[in-house]
Amino acid sequence: MDWCYSARIVYSDVRHNFLLHYLLAAAVVFITPLFFSVSGLDSRQAAQPLEMIISLTGTVLLTPVFMPEQNGSIRDVIRSKKTPYLLTCIVRLCIDMLILAALAGISVLYMKKCRSEVTFLHFAGTAASAMALGSLGFFAAGLSNNVIIGYMASLLWYIINFTAKDKLGVFFIFSMMNGSFDEKKWLLALSFALILLTFVYLSYVKYKI
Amino acid sequence: MLFTRECKKIFRSLTFIIYCAMVILMFFTQFWPELDERVTSSTIESYELTKISGEPETIMPKALDSLTGCYFSNTYRCYPYGLLKAVHLNSRDNDKIKGYIIEISGLNDDEMEKLKAASSFSHVRIGTNELESYNVNHVPLREDITYGRFREIMGEIDDILGGGSDYRPDDLAYKFSQEPMSHAEIIEQYDDFIEKDHIAAAYGRLLSDYLGIVLAVIPVFAAAALVTADKRAKMDELVYSRRISSFRLIFTRFSALVLTMALPVLLCASITAAKIMHMYKGDAPDIAGAFTVPGIWLLPNIMLVTALGMCISELFSAGMAILVQFAAWFICMMMTSSPLYGHIGRYTFVCRHNSLFYRSEFMEHYSDFLFNRIFYTAAALAAVLLTVIVYELKRGGRFNGLVLFGKDSIFRRKA
Repeated sequence: MDWCYSARIVYSDVRHNFLLHYLLAAAVVFITPLFFSVSGLDSRQAAQPLEMIISLTGTVLLTPVFMPEQNGSIRDVIRSKKTPYLLTCIVRLCIDMLILAALAGISVLYMKKCRSEVTFLHFAGTAASAMALGSLGFFAAGLSNNVIIGYMASLLWYIINFTAKDKLGVFFIFSMMNGSFDEKKWLLALSFALILLTFVYLSYVKYKI
Repeated sequence: MLFTRECKKIFRSLTFIIYCAMVILMFFTQFWPELDERVTSSTIESYELTKISGEPETIMPKALDSLTGCYFSNTYRCYPYGLLKAVHLNSRDNDKIKGYIIEISGLNDDEMEKLKAASSFSHVRIGTNELESYNVNHVPLREDITYGRFREIMGEIDDILGGGSDYRPDDLAYKFSQEPMSHAEIIEQYDDFIEKDHIAAAYGRLLSDYLGIVLAVIPVFAAAALVTADKRAKMDELVYSRRISSFRLIFTRFSALVLTMALPVLLCASITAAKIMHMYKGDAPDIAGAFTVPGIWLLPNIMLVTALGMCISELFSAGMAILVQFAAWFICMMMTSSPLYGHIGRYTFVCRHNSLFYRSEFMEHYSDFLFNRIFYTAAALAAVLLTVIVYELKRGGRFNGLVLFGKDSIFRRKA
């Protein structure tokens, strides 16, 4: 029953709160081929637009999950309702992850159609990098109740990957460009750990369910 | 006093704490290793300094070999937006390239085919990428071809490739005439470092180069957070009704943001100065350079990013300010061309000089650098003035932020 309510709520706030983010994430994907070469690339070259550009969809999609309730008055109203607030957030998150996977999939399939050497690993790697960036933003926004902090954390990690690539170890999000896919499983694990930690914190510390 | 109160508010904000952490992180991970070793006339050899000879006799044969190899594989390296774009031309455009090669080399079709058959095929590694390429050497150069005509042809080839190629006339010298410096030239670099830069100015430039990368984007977070803080605390309408003028309020907030965000930079410069004094005791370094260079270099960055962050947050929203600033930073970073020194133009926002040396190359563009910094300072002040106007209109209830496509659109302002 809760899921049914959640679906209605999510349908409503997708229309009113997140459509812009979905459009922005889609724009990132559709603009990329205009500026960067996506055809006839080998495995490493193909990783460049995927990791450097498409992974940013994670920041755009996952960071603002808590944004509508950033306003305390709205949060109070939402929390007085029967449907658990965090369940709504989980449903939002699931939808965002599905869109993220779909956009990564579209990018990889398009590159495949353009005769680039991309495999399922490229799809998984791109999704993992996007998840990692997004989940850090989600974590920071959830803990601070400020979506600006979320964007800041996520984009700073992205910037650090430009400047301190050799110091990040398994948390380097551009590893496919160096031909390595090993880091991706760590990024995925980190993403789920951050999401879990956020919900644990919100459930047991902030809202004391 | 309002200024002190705003500073305190910023000091306590999480965005500012993260900002400081990022600046310090950048300082210790990127710049600090440069202070590991004292530069002496003998250790300077390890920096592998190169020079750009710029001699047509060196540039023309190397560029022609490279162009012929790219023509054979029909794969041309271009960096139109900083990222590598491997351009494959259609047969008509590739034939035009062939025509230019024939004009420069004087070869005919048969000789071109023979040359292709005699060339080895390989994969060339460029950064993290590998591209297919023919290794072509010693393509003959027509004796009567002048360097002026050669540059003209290269310009036309660059146009066919869509710009940003290896054959852009202005980049020819860097791409095809780089060679290691002689011992005497290296010693000259060392003399410049000691006598003209007085050590500290050279370190100041390098510090500014590293910190400039992050200071071209991260101040926007603190600015956006401060601008939206009133709204989050539901204090905006209360502040609107106060007697203080919009001009004073906005400029006080702007000054508070710039001053507080300059403090971590000042701290980094102080640590650098202390380390230089310790490392170069006998060489009497002029410590002022470690403060003045980052001051002139980085303050306009902080000012402009802060002002734009405030202005766009007032006009649209904090999210839009972050999006615009991040996109601008990304484009600036991608457009940064090699070498990472001596390339500061009149409108380069993220200035790069990633070396303790090459002072003469930096000084060659010094007037452009000064113009550039003054221009961005003026642009920052103009953006703050615009913020004042927007804020004043909002206070009077005549404006509530720009809403694209009507008040019920998805672009309406969120709470």
